[in-house]
Amino acid sequence: MTGDAQDWAGSLLPLLQICDSALPTGAFAHTFGMETYLERGTVSDQASFQDWLERFLDHQLVYADGLAVRLTAELFAGTTANGASAGTAPSALAAADGAASPADPPAAPADATPDSDIDAGLVQLDALLFAQALPAQVRQAGLTMGRRLLEIGTLSLPGPGLERYARLVAEGTCHGHQAIVFALIGVDHGVPPAAVTQAFLFSTLTSLTQNAVRGIPIGQNAGQRTLGALRPRVAAAWERISTLDMSDLGVVSPGLEIAQMHHETQRARMFMS
Amino acid sequence: MNPAAPVTDTHASAAPTATRDDASESASTTAGTAATTLTVAASATMATAASSSPGTARETWRGELELGITAREGRSAATHQFHRGALRVLRPHYLDASGQVTYTMVNPGGAFLDGDRYRVAVTVEDHADLLLTTQSATKIYRTPVGRSTQEMTVRLGAGARLEYLPDQLIAYRDSRYRQHTLVDMDPSATLVLAEVVTPGWSPTGEPFRYDSVRLRTEVRMSGRPVALDNIRLEPSGDETGFGGVGSFEGFSHVGSLLVLDPRADDAALAAVRALLTERAGYLRGGASALAVPGFALRVLGDSTQEIDELILAAVAVVRKRFFGQEPVNLRKY
Repeated sequence: MTGDAQDWAGSLLPLLQICDSALPTGAFAHTFGMETYLERGTVSDQASFQDWLERFLDHQLVYADGLAVRLTAELFAGTTANGASAGTAPSALAAADGAASPADPPAAPADATPDSDIDAGLVQLDALLFAQALPAQVRQAGLTMGRRLLEIGTLSLPGPGLERYARLVAEGTCHGHQAIVFALIGVDHGVPPAAVTQAFLFSTLTSLTQNAVRGIPIGQNAGQRTLGALRPRVAAAWERISTLDMSDLGVVSPGLEIAQMHHETQRARMFMS
Repeated sequence: MNPAAPVTDTHASAAPTATRDDASESASTTAGTAATTLTVAASATMATAASSSPGTARETWRGELELGITAREGRSAATHQFHRGALRVLRPHYLDASGQVTYTMVNPGGAFLDGDRYRVAVTVEDHADLLLTTQSATKIYRTPVGRSTQEMTVRLGAGARLEYLPDQLIAYRDSRYRQHTLVDMDPSATLVLAEVVTPGWSPTGEPFRYDSVRLRTEVRMSGRPVALDNIRLEPSGDETGFGGVGSFEGFSHVGSLLVLDPRADDAALAAVRALLTERAGYLRGGASALAVPGFALRVLGDSTQEIDELILAAVAVVRKRFFGQEPVNLRKY
C-alpha cells in the first residue's frame, strides 16, 4: 500500500479511533461465551484462551460480523470508487483494493449502486445479522454496541453512509448493528473492504483479549503475545471472508453457540455475554 | 431466479388451487406440463428458494414433493399433493383428536448420493395443522465430486402449524450435504423444526469424520428474516476432529430445535432449560429466546436416542402449553 501521507491519514486516523479499545461502546462487557468456558475450566490460561479465541474467530466471527463488514463495505464500493460518497478523497488504500462487488456494473459511473439498492442492501444485511444471532445475549451485544458506535460516529466521524444507516435505524427499518456501523465509518473515510474488515476483526480480538486479561486473569504480556499470534490469522480470516457469500452469513459451530446460550443462566457472571 | 425452476408459470394460478388428492399416484408418471398445473400453490416460495441457492444451469431434482394442507371443519387434510422421483409420502394419519394431520415422507432410494438434489415444498393454509416426519433416517453417502442437497420451502398461513420432526440425518465418510430451508410464516402461525445430525460409524466403531453438513434455515415474517439458523459441521477439515472447543467438544451428535409461536414466553423457555439441566450429565445444550416469540435449542450428545428424547420432550412442552396436546408418539408404520 503506497500513497501519499494525506490519504493515509484520512483513512488511518478514523480507523484508529474506532479500533481504540477504550472506545466507549461497551465491548469491555462482552466475552461472547468465553466466560462460559472460563466457568467450565476449559479456558484457564493464555494457551487455552488463545485456543478458544482462534476457534471463535474461525468458526463464528468470520461468518457473522466479519462477513457483514465486508458485505456492507462492498455495497458502497461503486460510489466510493468514483468519489461520490465520502467527504475524503478516494485514498491510496481504496485504489489498492481489488475486491469490488461482483454486482458492480463496470461502466455506470454516476450511479454504480443506486441509492435504493444501497438502502435495500443495508436493510437486508441488518435483518439477517440480527436474526442469525440465536443466543439472545449475542444479539443484544451487537445491538447495544451498534447503537453506541452509531452515536459516537455521528458525533465524531460523520459521513454519508453512516448518516444513511442512522436514518434507517431512526425510522425503525434497521436495528443498528455494530459490524455495519463500523464498516460504514470505514467506507465514509475511504477505507477499502479488506482493511476495514481486518481492522474490525482485530479490534474485536483485542477487546476479547483485554477481557481475558481481567477475567481469567492472564498477564498483560500474555495478552499481547496472544494478539501477536492472532495477527496472521486475521489475514487468513480475510482470505476466507473474501470467498464467502450471503448464504454463509451467520454460519456457526454448535459448541460456541451453546456456550453463548448457556451464559444466560450462568450463576456468577462478570460479563454481559 | 433460476429460469429452469420447475414452476415459474404464473398463468397457472388461474387454475384452481385445490388439486387432486389422488395426484400422488398419477403425478409420479407424469412429466413437465402436468406437474406445472399441479404446483400452483407453492410457486412463489419455490422461485425464492431457487434464487437463494447456489444455482446450477439446469435444475434437475432426484426427488420432489409438494404438500398443501387445508383445514376443513377443524380437521386438516392435503388438498394439494405432488411428488416425482425419489420422494413420496405415505397415507396420512391422525394421531390424536386434534385434527392435526400427520404425513410421513419416504425416500425409496434409501440414501442421498453425490449430486442428488431434493425439493420439498410445504404449504399449510390458515388454521391448518401438519405434523411432517420421515419413515427412516436420511443417509448421506460419499460425495466424491460434489454434494447432495435438499431445498425446502414452507409457507404457513394465519394460525397454521407445522411440526417437522424428521428422523436423524446420518453423514458417512467423505460426504457433503447442504440443506436450505426457507420458511415464510404469518406471525400468528406456529413453527416447530427439529434436526439431528449423526456421523455414520466405521467398522472399527469410530465415528466417520464426514466432510461437511451445512444446514441453513431462514424464517421470514412478511418477507423479513426473523430467525436464521445456519449451522456448519465439518469434522474432517478440523484438525481436532470431533474434539475441538467450540465445535463438537468431544461429542459426535448435534441436535437443533427451532420453535416460533406467538405464545412462546419466558416460562416455556425455562421449562425447556429445565429439560437440559436434567440431562446435563450426558448432553451439552443451550436454549435462548428468539427476537420474535420463540426459542432455539441446540444440543451436543453421543446418541440419537438421547437427543431425540430431549427434542421430543421440548416439543411436548410446546404442545402441552400452547395446544393442550399430548406428547407426539411417532411409532413408525
